[in-house]
Amino acid sequence: MLIQNTKCECGHQNPVGTVLCESCGKPLFEEAAGAEDAPLEMRYDGVARRSQKQNPHLIDRVWNFFSSVKIAIYLIILTLLGAALGTIFQQESTFINMTTDEEFAAYYKETYGTAGVIYHALGLSHTYESWWFRGLLVMIGASLVICSLDRVLPLYRALNKQQIRKHLQFITRQQVTYSGEVAGDETAWVESFKKQLKRRGYRVHQDGTALLAEKNRFSRWGPYINHIGLILFLLAVLGRSVPAWHMDQYLALYEGETRQIPDTNYYLKNDDFTLELYDESELASNQKGKAVPKLFETKATMYECIEACNDPTRDPVLKQVEQHPIQVNSPLSHGDLKIYQNSYQARVRFISVNVTLTDTVTGKAYGTFALRADNPERVYEVGPYTLRLNDYFPDFGLDSESRPMTKTRDPNNPAFAFTITGPDLLKDGETYLYFPMPNEESKAYQAILNDYYVKNGQSSGKFAFKVENAMSGGKMVNVTFSEYTTFLNIRKDKAMPYIWVGAAISMIGLIMGFYWQHRRVWLRIDGGTLSLGAHTNKNSYGLRADVAWALARTGIEVPPKSLDNRRNLR
Amino acid sequence: MNWIDLSSNVFTAAFFLYCAAFICYAIAVAGKRWSNRDPQGHTARWGRIGFIAAIVAWVLHLVFFFARWKGQGHIPTSNMYEFMTFLAMAIMFAFIVVYLIYRNSLLGAFALPLVIIIVAYASVFPSEVQPLNPALNSIWLRIHVTTAALGEAFFAVGFAAALMQLIRVVDLERKDKVGVRSRRWTEFSLVAIILIVGFLVSVFGFRGAGYEASFSQETVEIADDGTVNSQVNEVTYSLPPIVAPYNSETVDFQAFLGMEKPLFEAPSWMNGVNAGRKLNTVIWSVITGLILYGLLRLLARKPLIAVIKPHLMDIDADDLEEISYRAIAIGFPVFTLGALIFAMIWAEIAWSRFWGWDPKEVWALVTWLFYSAYLHLRLSRGWQGTRSAWLAVIGFLVVMFTLIGVNLVIAGLHSYAGVS
Repeated sequence: MLIQNTKCECGHQNPVGTVLCESCGKPLFEEAAGAEDAPLEMRYDGVARRSQKQNPHLIDRVWNFFSSVKIAIYLIILTLLGAALGTIFQQESTFINMTTDEEFAAYYKETYGTAGVIYHALGLSHTYESWWFRGLLVMIGASLVICSLDRVLPLYRALNKQQIRKHLQFITRQQVTYSGEVAGDETAWVESFKKQLKRRGYRVHQDGTALLAEKNRFSRWGPYINHIGLILFLLAVLGRSVPAWHMDQYLALYEGETRQIPDTNYYLKNDDFTLELYDESELASNQKGKAVPKLFETKATMYECIEACNDPTRDPVLKQVEQHPIQVNSPLSHGDLKIYQNSYQARVRFISVNVTLTDTVTGKAYGTFALRADNPERVYEVGPYTLRLNDYFPDFGLDSESRPMTKTRDPNNPAFAFTITGPDLLKDGETYLYFPMPNEESKAYQAILNDYYVKNGQSSGKFAFKVENAMSGGKMVNVTFSEYTTFLNIRKDKAMPYIWVGAAISMIGLIMGFYWQHRRVWLRIDGGTLSLGAHTNKNSYGLRADVAWALARTGIEVPPKSLDNRRNLR
Repeated sequence: MNWIDLSSNVFTAAFFLYCAAFICYAIAVAGKRWSNRDPQGHTARWGRIGFIAAIVAWVLHLVFFFARWKGQGHIPTSNMYEFMTFLAMAIMFAFIVVYLIYRNSLLGAFALPLVIIIVAYASVFPSEVQPLNPALNSIWLRIHVTTAALGEAFFAVGFAAALMQLIRVVDLERKDKVGVRSRRWTEFSLVAIILIVGFLVSVFGFRGAGYEASFSQETVEIADDGTVNSQVNEVTYSLPPIVAPYNSETVDFQAFLGMEKPLFEAPSWMNGVNAGRKLNTVIWSVITGLILYGLLRLLARKPLIAVIKPHLMDIDADDLEEISYRAIAIGFPVFTLGALIFAMIWAEIAWSRFWGWDPKEVWALVTWLFYSAYLHLRLSRGWQGTRSAWLAVIGFLVVMFTLIGVNLVIAGLHSYAGVS
């Protein structure tokens, strides 16, 4: 940069990089020959910015890099392109059941062919988690901070100490100008013009026959407030990577099931799941015959553990803290935790049954007892007999040596093994297996295995397990099943309040900046000649209308368009 | 008559009134130099008639909206048909707002065709009432969708003004490379609009004639867990199949102009269920659009920009630029609020995360970034005038891709928007 004489003719010493004298507004250097009456560059009121310092050091260089709006625009465009590239093919993060890179590579090759291989190899299949995309976001953050600081402070200073009487060139080279003779008394005209501008909401400062009228200066801070909001938003997004701030778990619960929410002291119970379908008459013609859900909801109760929480020998003592029907658009929330309806699956599971112990020969009923799939009781007293639950197979199967075993811990096909003791029975008690699920396979197992016990001398075959009046009026009585398993998503996100505050601040800034405009009018009268200049950062149409309106009411009729200085040149 | 019937009848009336309003505007612009009239008075008079017709059409459009809302019990913004009709209504609203600020009635000559095209495009999709998906059953369906559409509507008005500006400033005489290029691209943007009209003409033409052909297509899908599913789908075309779906058998084919079978089959990478049909539609749109364009050129015997430009000479190019910029500046905060902030709030409530890089979300962000870049570029020298007008045009293309392209090409979580 050339060493310039930065002292203005009005005697004010300006910092290096100043375009318009800070005091009187005279242009300090001409950008191009022949542009002598071109409209002035009024950005940031022509003040020097920090980034225009001479002899920059390393920190200054970094500062200068990020302070450039041009760099900011490049960053925005690169982010835009990167984000768009990530939508070409499905992102890895959308596949729940794949984890390893090989699986992904195979998937992209299989699904998209060569393009998929390239896409995956370039890392575009996880664009939004990639270092370069995150890097761009961080750089946009840096640019937001530095661009704003670089401009807002000098601008604040410039707007805070404005001189009223400006250099003639400053006035005549504004975007909106007027010059002409003032008929009659100058002071009286200035007074009446002042009054008119005040009626339009301007704050007017006077210095003899020179005026400075200004309104809506606050809208100049809009962009900076918007940027502060965006910075807060981006910081909050970064904050989400703090593990303690964030939790994302899934819980599958069948009806009636209670489970601990992982890593917390809370338990969640699925009291009931309901699925409502639309009536055939409500469906559109292309949906007829399909099951279209109208509503699905998990009635859930949340408990907090208050005693014996980490004691494996005792059951935890639970206290109910929350109850809420969870729907897609209505999560349960308790403190930081939110529980969302994710999806559901139709899967029949046994919950409980009221079984009647009967005599195989006489058909006599000895008594009825309740049997649960979850934590079944160990001992049941039925009439004169005692039933001891020896073994419980939630998901019954036979191992390779044909011994009973459970395939999973889910009660898909439960089997209960009892030892029954009491009068007139074998000395060591008798062994029976009971399958509550009313399907062929279960019943076959039950028959074969109980016969085997009789042959083996472990049982006399005296008893049968029956569910009385299983069906009554089309409804199941004495048996409860869960028809659906609900999938719930448990979330904690401590950054959310900051995200919302950031977004709100940003919105306030946008509204300030876009729906109001900073307007200024300068004028001076030199020997009967009025020179008027006006400037706004946005909407010069409105500014011209303001000026023409005020001029018309002080005896000067001009069409608003003729005030446009830029237009007259072009 | 129930509410739904009332709403669809009113909608048809609104559509024809929009067309009438456009014709009035066209007369206002083109009839200036007709004999025996005062040009300014003529423009003002027909501009006013056009504006009144447009307002009446818009009021009918509002009646359509609220009657349908009443009839189906939820806000009609839940599928593609309903959203596009709403967008057209929002564009009219944005046009009225901008008109009230700038009183430039000729903007209507460009905003109305846009509204008409979008209304017609909406009618391509099934207009039958569909019950609401539980995921959409939220107050945010009303808030998010309407605000986002309103922001986009202002971008649309910005686009209309920018296109007018481009035609207004294009130099028909300039012989050097820059001049030729600017002519070519401006003409091309008109051709692009005519291709969309071509799409509408072919769809409604063949629909009116009751054309149908169908194919059975075998698709092999590999599920997430590695199992291979082979599925046979029936694909029904409503336009004569120039291109058949990949890997398909003809089931039924009505001959069209001697064409007895498809001319070729879609390439293998277009293996989606409807990919072949979409390609066929694109081909038909291009053919019909080019025929339309050719007819217009034959009638005019000069480029369309040369036809339109003389009628725009009374409008100041700077005014147009100001209108375009202002419309975008009004729309930007509304778009930010509706398409990003409200979207994030709803996503947080319904999907348990405020942002999930779903394609629709990403493209809303892309749109927002694009307009941010536009607003920042305008601070720089040399980016006002024609260049910023081009940016406003491209910006609207990005908006339309976000609204339609994402659903047609990419899908994702917003894919239940009723596109077929």
